[in-house]
Amino acid sequence: MKLDPSFIWTAFVQMLSAIPTTLYITLVSVVAGFVIGVAVALIRIYKVPLLYPLAVGYVTFIRGTPMLTHLLLIYFGLPVMIDGLALHFDWAFRSVSIPMIGFAYISFSITAGAYMSEVVRSGLLAVDRGQIEAAYSVGMTTPQALRRIVFPQALGASLPNLSNSVIGMLHGSTLAFTVSVVDINAKAQIVASTNWKFFEAYLAAALIFWGLTLLIERATALIEKRINLYNRGGVV
Amino acid sequence: MGAPFDISYVFSFLPKLLTTLGTTLLIVACSLLSGVLVGFLIALPRLYKVPVLKTCAEIYISFFRGTPILIQLFLFYYGLPEILKLVSVDVTRTPVLFFVILTYGLHTGAFMSEMIRASVTAVDRGQVEAAYATGMTSFQAFSRIVLPQALGIAIPVFSNLVIALLKDTSLAFTLGVMEMTGKAQTLGSISQHFIETYIALALIYLVISFTIEKLLLVAERRLLRHEERSSPAKRMFRLQKNGSYRRIIAELGPGKGGGGL
Amino acid sequence: MIKIEHLSKSFGRHQVLNNIDLTVTKGEVVVILGPSGSGKTTLLRCVNYLEKPGDGEISIGDFRLNCKHARKKEIHQLRQKTAMVFQQYNLFRHKTALENVMEGLLVVKKLPKEEARNRSIALLEKVGLGAKLDAYPSQLSGGQQQRVGIARALALEPEVILFDEPTSALDPELVGEVLAVIRKIAKEGITMIVVTHEMGFARDVANHVVFMDGGVIVEEGTPAEVFNHPREERTKQFLKRITPELNYSI
Repeated sequence: MKLDPSFIWTAFVQMLSAIPTTLYITLVSVVAGFVIGVAVALIRIYKVPLLYPLAVGYVTFIRGTPMLTHLLLIYFGLPVMIDGLALHFDWAFRSVSIPMIGFAYISFSITAGAYMSEVVRSGLLAVDRGQIEAAYSVGMTTPQALRRIVFPQALGASLPNLSNSVIGMLHGSTLAFTVSVVDINAKAQIVASTNWKFFEAYLAAALIFWGLTLLIERATALIEKRINLYNRGGVV
Repeated sequence: MGAPFDISYVFSFLPKLLTTLGTTLLIVACSLLSGVLVGFLIALPRLYKVPVLKTCAEIYISFFRGTPILIQLFLFYYGLPEILKLVSVDVTRTPVLFFVILTYGLHTGAFMSEMIRASVTAVDRGQVEAAYATGMTSFQAFSRIVLPQALGIAIPVFSNLVIALLKDTSLAFTLGVMEMTGKAQTLGSISQHFIETYIALALIYLVISFTIEKLLLVAERRLLRHEERSSPAKRMFRLQKNGSYRRIIAELGPGKGGGGL
Repeated sequence: MIKIEHLSKSFGRHQVLNNIDLTVTKGEVVVILGPSGSGKTTLLRCVNYLEKPGDGEISIGDFRLNCKHARKKEIHQLRQKTAMVFQQYNLFRHKTALENVMEGLLVVKKLPKEEARNRSIALLEKVGLGAKLDAYPSQLSGGQQQRVGIARALALEPEVILFDEPTSALDPELVGEVLAVIRKIAKEGITMIVVTHEMGFARDVANHVVFMDGGVIVEEGTPAEVFNHPREERTKQFLKRITPELNYSI
């Protein structure tokens, strides 16, 4: 076994085909997670009866357990539940027809939702109470005040955290190999073990992830510059 | 898939999984220790703006934050022996656990250094100036004035990092380490009661994370006795005082986002 | 005419407002004075329903609101009839000066964009900020921000504008420009309730001075009555303490 620098490039090229899978998983989990996150954050801030303890329990459970266990629980638990229900209600649908990547989508969205809810919540809490009071004083209703005044500012405040979550989900998508989805990581394993060149293959994978992460960070910085235009100056 | 669900298995699996809790905690503790150490080493050149070293530190952090821990594990496990072989050091007999701890230590170190830097910079500049004005040396000012305040600010982030590390250790099974997740997979495939094993596994992680969080919360309260903190619910509807602003800034920086796998 | 009747409010066990009655006629400028913690700001915030009063009634013209059983729609109506200028300005941080003034016109009054824009520009010019239309709050001085706040309140053409210590967060040299703007609009006959510590301003501009202490109205009358011939001991004490400032604050 000898170090073979040129194989890093070979592995890199072979892994390009797996990049879309990784990006799909990341995108789906981030978008679905954001929707779940906003809902959960609002439930927690407004202390909606009944839903509130559920929301707290959900966030506590997900944040207190590894993402891998969520995936495994969904992978083994969901089919049992679906097939049980299908049998009971006489549906034609069976869990076998769920593609492997579907489990990743569902499980990662649930994971992302809990983390996103914390991001959204801290963003909302960062908005000065005076802002919503001012919105009320010009006669806005609560939904108007939230949509036009609070959310845009919260988005600006939570952008760095959001970007962290996106990166977290990008990195988390490497777990998909446990349900036999061929993402960048799984592809690296395949390339590594067929050529018996582990180090080079994983180095290539690391470089791809590094690049993608830097891309996300750059994009965030750009958006931040636009959104936080009003934070320039620094006068009170 | 597997045997029919039976809740009693969850309870019978709990003690079996707990036998490997020691390995998980060992990884966490050793990585944490090396992580704090690495974190300080990496944070210093950035805080004091040492030319070349600062850039090295930034690249280090960027790499470890920019790549998934899973990839890093493989990279170090397979890569380190090959690189060391070039300088004729043979590490083929070194236990896997060593590589695992090394990787987690280096990985956490990157996040720790961000935490340290953010907390130190979050301490009001006026504090340092006041310390100088009372005649303290820069070392005294740091150790007596800045550090105690920075610690309080850092604890929520630290708490997140420890829990993230705990959760990350669930990936050590990929290198064949028999920690809790590895044990759970073995138990699952032997008994075919996968769901029950993973429920038991999740419960254990949950209890440990919860305990860590509560313990560090107590520590935070003690360190931040001087700042009367209102509860988060209240915070939304009050003017942002300087203190809570700082906390939010400190939380924004090095948080691991969704990265706690 | 604005009528506040039997208004009460407590925070926990602490009674902040105790059975307040206050009548403000149209075009009147009412100044509320009092030591800190006397409940004057709370009273103002209750009138805009930013604090929920415990009991009492607020009526503006034909509109009547029973504070204890206020429905969402009524609260919304009350807020449309009132506008507030905040101590901390509370300009929308993500909107320019112009957008801050337009916001209420677009969202609440549903004016067409062009009209909202023209009206807002006119108002900003009136408060002397015609050159700062596109500046964000963070790019404006405190005095400028507060003048935008006043323009924002004026834009809604409310029955009454509530000023909550509009100059107390300002640097001393910026107080004058804000007071000048408030003076100017007071002369136009806009009904205002002002909580302030600026005695000179109160004396010059107010038609009606209210002195509050411990959650009750201790004394009220014309500025001449309250300032020159206070009847109550508490008013005298307060004026004595605050008057030395009078010489240089205006």
